[in-house]
Amino acid sequence: MEFFDDGDYELREIQKLEGHTDRVWCLSWNPKTGINGVPPIIASCSGDKTIRIWEQSGPSQSWRCKAVLEETHARTVRSCAWSLCGKFLATGSFDATTAIWENVGGDYECVSTLEGHENEVKSVSWNECGNMLATCSRDKSVWIWEVLPGNEFECVTVLQGHTQDVKMVQWHPRMDIVFSCSYDNTIKVWWSEDAESENWECCQTIGESNNGHSSTVWALSFNVEGDKMVSCSDDLTLKIWEANTLRMESGDGYAPWSHICTLSGYHDRTIFSVHWSREGIIASGAADDAIRLFVESKDDSIDGPSYKMLLKKEKAHDMDVNSVQWNPVDHHLLASGSDDGTIKIWELASTSTEMPEASTESTESTASTEKKALQKLGMTTLI
Amino acid sequence: MDSHQSNNSIEDIFDSSLNLEETHFKEGYDEGYNHGLNTGKEEARQVGLKTGFETGEELGFYKGCVDVWNSVIRVDPTRLSSRVQKGIKQMEELIEKYPAMDPEDESVQEIIEALRLKFRVLRAALGMKLDYDGYPKPKDIEF
Repeated sequence: MEFFDDGDYELREIQKLEGHTDRVWCLSWNPKTGINGVPPIIASCSGDKTIRIWEQSGPSQSWRCKAVLEETHARTVRSCAWSLCGKFLATGSFDATTAIWENVGGDYECVSTLEGHENEVKSVSWNECGNMLATCSRDKSVWIWEVLPGNEFECVTVLQGHTQDVKMVQWHPRMDIVFSCSYDNTIKVWWSEDAESENWECCQTIGESNNGHSSTVWALSFNVEGDKMVSCSDDLTLKIWEANTLRMESGDGYAPWSHICTLSGYHDRTIFSVHWSREGIIASGAADDAIRLFVESKDDSIDGPSYKMLLKKEKAHDMDVNSVQWNPVDHHLLASGSDDGTIKIWELASTSTEMPEASTESTESTASTEKKALQKLGMTTLI
Repeated sequence: MDSHQSNNSIEDIFDSSLNLEETHFKEGYDEGYNHGLNTGKEEARQVGLKTGFETGEELGFYKGCVDVWNSVIRVDPTRLSSRVQKGIKQMEELIEKYPAMDPEDESVQEIIEALRLKFRVLRAALGMKLDYDGYPKPKDIEF
């Protein structure tokens, strides 16, 4: 686990991706790209009812829109997620359906449409094996689906328990446990001894009385080991949780999650998105248009681990930041999506390293890197 | 002595005028109470008829669907997946369990909601575009 020194880092804007004609709600990096000679691919979904697939390629290494998935969802596409094998993309929409897309010879085809939710689908998530999908909705329920041969999806069970709109659903990175967070201020943990049976139940509810959030919980994310979780909320805090997952993985029954840390005072507007990188950096996207990064603090505290803010990127976007996602392969690459309709690719770098060669294709990134270099030298820009 | 008696009768005469307010109050109360009893009974009968009809209609709808699906299973047992068949069985049990003769039974709401949910899941699994028009739909609000 790498520890970061104070104040020596910055988030450099690599490129701004434009194309969506409405707010960008969610992003997802294709986990099987960016390695073994495969160019990195990221999917974005928007209020303009489309999903865009972006790829970084060419000698200039710039990002281009490779495909626009349209004419399928009738309303805003709110969430998108690649399966871990990289072959399928699930998209959840306000039209109450979830579409499953497959890359068939370079073209993306909608191979299945999952119906069942009563109203807007807010989030979709694949499990680690890729044989199950979870969806959640404003109808307060979480649906678990099983992938069957021939791209058939069957509903395994419908989990009810939340008393309000469920904002996000997420599978644990290692075990078939589902986490959901809601407008009812709680995080619920759902588990079954047999994931494919319908005997799922809520084995834990993390509410205000367990040091939980006091307002809508918008998102949650796990660290790479899967023994810690971070959640973000409208109550302006990030909360870190941990559980004895080793015990769980060895089949010793359910180990409950307990609160270890609350990061407050860093945000003054709702935090919409949070993502934990494989290197241990927590990124947050908030309603104040900023992106913040947090890491575990080196200072040994008797009360357990503590976290500190590594950096704050003000005006990362022109409007609310709805989604932040670390690249799972290149751990210093971060993507963000905003109400301003754009996606930005950032690189976390130490301020002492050299500025990268400006790309010849995107004038946008050239201007910003030069501007930053000039500002560093204390010179005012002429623009 | 006689004076004691006459004192009583004087008090009685005054009593009835002093208790005028109380008497009238009681009269009014009794009138209202009886009126309420009668109109309440009538209204309850109307509500009971309406709710009974609606509930019966919805339960009947689900029973009808279950009967058709069971026929499908009889004609071709492999047509529907085991998960779907299990769901149909569960719906059947829920309909059976519904306390149709006892509206005060607390589980009525629970069972009808479980039925609605099961119906939605099965409808999606079977790829049907069938909606039960009977119960009120929530208004479309987007946040």
